[in-house]
Amino acid sequence: MKRSKISLALATGVTLLVAAAAQPAFAGESKTKPIMGIPSSAVADFGGAYGVHNWVESLFYYIMLDNRINYIFKEFGNVDRQIALNTQLEQMVLGGPNNYQGASMSAAHADLGITMTQFNAVVEAAYNACERNEIKYYACNDLIAALAPFTRVIVTK
Amino acid sequence: MKRLHKSGLRTLQCAAILAAGLVSSSAWAGIYNDGKVLLTGGVFTVDGAGGGGAVPWATISGYETRDGINGSAGFTYVNLPALQVSFYGVNVGLFDRVELSYVDSRLSLNLPNLQTVALVADAAGLDVGTDAWNSTLGMQTYGVKVRLFGDAVYTSDSWIPQVAVGGLYKDNRNVALIHTLGADKTKDYEIYVAATKVLFPISTLVNVTARYTSANEDGLTGFGYCNGGSQTDCHNKRKVRAEVSIAHLVAKNTAIGGEWQQHGSNLDGRSVNVAGLDLSGLTGLLGSAGLGGLSGALTQKKEGDWYDLFMAYAPNKHISFVVAYLMFGNIAVAPAQNGFYFATHLTF
Ligand code: HEM
Repeated sequence: MKRSKISLALATGVTLLVAAAAQPAFAGESKTKPIMGIPSSAVADFGGAYGVHNWVESLFYYIMLDNRINYIFKEFGNVDRQIALNTQLEQMVLGGPNNYQGASMSAAHADLGITMTQFNAVVEAAYNACERNEIKYYACNDLIAALAPFTRVIVTK
Repeated sequence: MKRLHKSGLRTLQCAAILAAGLVSSSAWAGIYNDGKVLLTGGVFTVDGAGGGGAVPWATISGYETRDGINGSAGFTYVNLPALQVSFYGVNVGLFDRVELSYVDSRLSLNLPNLQTVALVADAAGLDVGTDAWNSTLGMQTYGVKVRLFGDAVYTSDSWIPQVAVGGLYKDNRNVALIHTLGADKTKDYEIYVAATKVLFPISTLVNVTARYTSANEDGLTGFGYCNGGSQTDCHNKRKVRAEVSIAHLVAKNTAIGGEWQQHGSNLDGRSVNVAGLDLSGLTGLLGSAGLGGLSGALTQKKEGDWYDLFMAYAPNKHISFVVAYLMFGNIAVAPAQNGFYFATHLTF
C-alpha cells in the first residue's frame, strides 16, 4: 500500500518535471487571444520593453494614489515585485517575448475578492499612466484589449 | 383641522429625516457606486434609456458596476426648422443589471400650414388639438431595461456582445392633435433588444437594436394610423425596426459617431385630419382666403428614418455633453427636417 503511494508521488513528480521542461520556465500565464488581434507594432507603440516598464511604474504610481484600491496593494501586494512581473506580462500580451515568471492571474488574485469597481479603478490608472507617458490612446486600448480577458479570473466578487 | 395639519407636518418631517438618514447612512454609502469607466454607460437617449441619442444600448445607464446603484438626470433640446423638442428625464441603474427610466417630452410645432389649420379650426369652433400660436405635443415615456448576458467592455476575446431587453411605455398628452395627425393610438408600448460591444483595437463601440413598435416619429406623433380621416378605420401594426449606433472613442472622454433609426410609414401620404371633416370644405374656405394650395400642403410627407452625427464629451463622471446634427427627413407635414441637438447628462 505504502509502496504504491510512493510510486504515485514519484510518477507525479516526474510528470511535472517533464511538463516543466517542455514549456518555458515559470510560464504561469499565457497570452490572451483578442478577437481582432493585437497589431505587431504594439510593443513599439509603448516605446519598446523600456517603455512598457515605464508605463508599469506609472501604473503603480496611480494605483497607489487611489484610495479605492491602494490599501489592497499595501496589505497583500509587493509593488517592486509586481512592477517587475507586470512588465513581463504586459510585454507578452502585447506580442513581445514570453518571459513571464509570475503566478497565473487566477492564482495571484483568487483570494483577494476583487470587485468590478476595483478592477475598473486599475483600468483608470492604466489610462492615466498612458497619458502621463504620452502613449497614444489607441495604443493604450490595444493593451486594454490584451488584458481584458483576465477580468474573468481576477474579478471574483 | 389644526391637529391634522400638525400631524401631517410631523409625518413630513419624519420622512425628511428618514430620507436624509438614508442618503447619509453607511448603508447608502455601501450601495452607491460610480465604478464604471468613463463613457461606458452610454449617455441619455430621448427615450430615457441609456444609450446614444436616439438608440437605446444594451449598457445600463449610470456609472454603477454590478456592485451598486447609480442614477442620472438628462436634458435634451432638439431644434429643427419646423419644431423644437425638449426632453427632461431621470433614470436609475441597479447593479449594472436593471435600468428604470422616465422622460417627459414637449414638442412645439412651428408650422405655418398647421397654424393656418389652427386659425381656421379656431374660427370654425373645432377642437383639433392645435393652438394657432403654439401647438404642443407632450409625451411621457416610462422605461425598463434588463441586461440579459454579456459584458460590452471586457470580453475582448469573444464576439459575444452585451445583450439587453427593454420595454418603453409612451403616453401622449395632446390626444386631439395626435388624432388630427392621423394616428391611431396616443399611448402604446415598444419592446427592444439591444446588443452592444466595445472593440478596443479600433476604439469603437458598436450597437445594434431591434425595436418592436408602431410608433410615428418615436411616438411623438402617436402610434399606427387611421384611414379616411376619422377614428373608425384604425390600425396599429407593430413591426420590428432596426437601429444602429457607432461611437468611435478618440480619447477616453470623447466619442464621435453616428446613428440610424429605421422609421415606419404609417402616416405617409395621409392628409391632416381636421376633426373628421372632409378637407374639401375647408379647402373652399381656404381658397377664398387665398390659400388654395393648402390642402396639398396638409398631406403628410413620407416619414424619414432618423440619422444623426454626434460628439459626446464627458469631462468627468458627473456630467457629459452631446451635440449632434440631426437628419430626420420629413416629419408630418414638414419636409426635410435637419437640425441640431444638444444634450446634457448628469450622473450622480
Ligand atoms: C488586468 C488587470 C491585472 C493584471 C494584469 C494584474 C497582474 C498581476 C500580476 C502580474 C501579479 C503578480 C503575480 C505574482 O506575484 O506572481 C499580480 C498580483 C497582485 N495583484 Fe494584480 N493584476 C490585475 C488586476 C488587479 C486588481 C484589479 C487588483 C486589486 C484591486 C490587483 C491586486 C493584486 C495584488 C494585491 C497582487 C499581489 C498578490 C500576492 O502577491 O499574493 N490586481 N497582479
